[in-house]
Amino acid sequence: MAVEHAARVARIVEHAPDTRSLFLRGPRIAFRPGQFISCLLPVGGETLIRPYSIASSPEEDDLEICLNLVPGGLGSPYLLGLPAGAEVRFTGPWGTFVLDRAPEAEAIFVADGTAIAPIRPMLRRAVATATRHPLHLLYGAAGPERLLYRAELEAMAREHTGFRFEHVPSARLRDAVAHRWVDGDADRGRRFFICGVGAIVPALRDLLRGAGYERRAVQYEKW
Amino acid sequence: MPSVARIRVIFENGDPERVIEFDPARAPFQHDGKSGSILDVLLGHGIHLEHACGGNCACTTCHVVVKGGGDTLSASDESEDDLLDKAPGLTPTSRLGCQAVVEDPDAEIVVVIPRYTINQIVSEHGG
Repeated sequence: MAVEHAARVARIVEHAPDTRSLFLRGPRIAFRPGQFISCLLPVGGETLIRPYSIASSPEEDDLEICLNLVPGGLGSPYLLGLPAGAEVRFTGPWGTFVLDRAPEAEAIFVADGTAIAPIRPMLRRAVATATRHPLHLLYGAAGPERLLYRAELEAMAREHTGFRFEHVPSARLRDAVAHRWVDGDADRGRRFFICGVGAIVPALRDLLRGAGYERRAVQYEKW
Repeated sequence: MPSVARIRVIFENGDPERVIEFDPARAPFQHDGKSGSILDVLLGHGIHLEHACGGNCACTTCHVVVKGGGDTLSASDESEDDLLDKAPGLTPTSRLGCQAVVEDPDAEIVVVIPRYTINQIVSEHGG
């Protein structure tokens, strides 16, 4: 059985009426940028297992998870209803969608909505270890006002000349990727890190691999 | 007569073997993983199998090695294969328990639960 940890909700940040970050304070755990914790939620008389990506960096004291209300879901209403000070039990860290240092190639990060959560610590690690290769973030959201961590990402782009950050409407993510990195040139040496909800993720995977990018050059996590 | 499928579960950590008899038509047996999957059957019959992502094909903690009856399971897809690619102790007959669905009502399946199904990876930076 996996080791269970117990933490308290130290702080809650509301990004939007249906989207919040919970900062969990407890035993400090080592993790790799991109990993998730598996929350054990007491709902309806049983324990639900719900994975949440860690949106903070390993160097920080609190574990930040960022989530939005999933219509019809059971886990997100429970977590979003927790007050500061409440206990959250979890196992982990888990997951193989990780980035330990900037790749030795141009790297493209693609995130859709709250799926920026695992991408954020990956990006921070990437810019901190960047070499001469460019880093891009293509961030899908309904509108610019829905971008999470926007100020931080814009500051990152100002401070790191090799990093570019662009917003596109979620519905245009696939076309944007195709236009820039499939139809745009014949370079197939880039590395991709993709996270999103539902069909867009395998759609991007298939687009890129079908266009000639190597399988392991296209890493993804589908929520 | 209802069909009877069997899964023989061998634990690499030395725990006693278990044999589950079940009717695949009665799936799901609980709520995590694909309905009728090895994970679903095991959890629904009181056998713990790790599934940190909730059984949604997003991690490798439900990795099992199929030693028999693999042809009675649903085929893997690219998402499962990509995750298995990163599973510790990968074998040619490895599957994710949450994705491998028992399709034959009279299946006779043997699975080994590896000692290390875990992908609780410690940072290369020593963290």
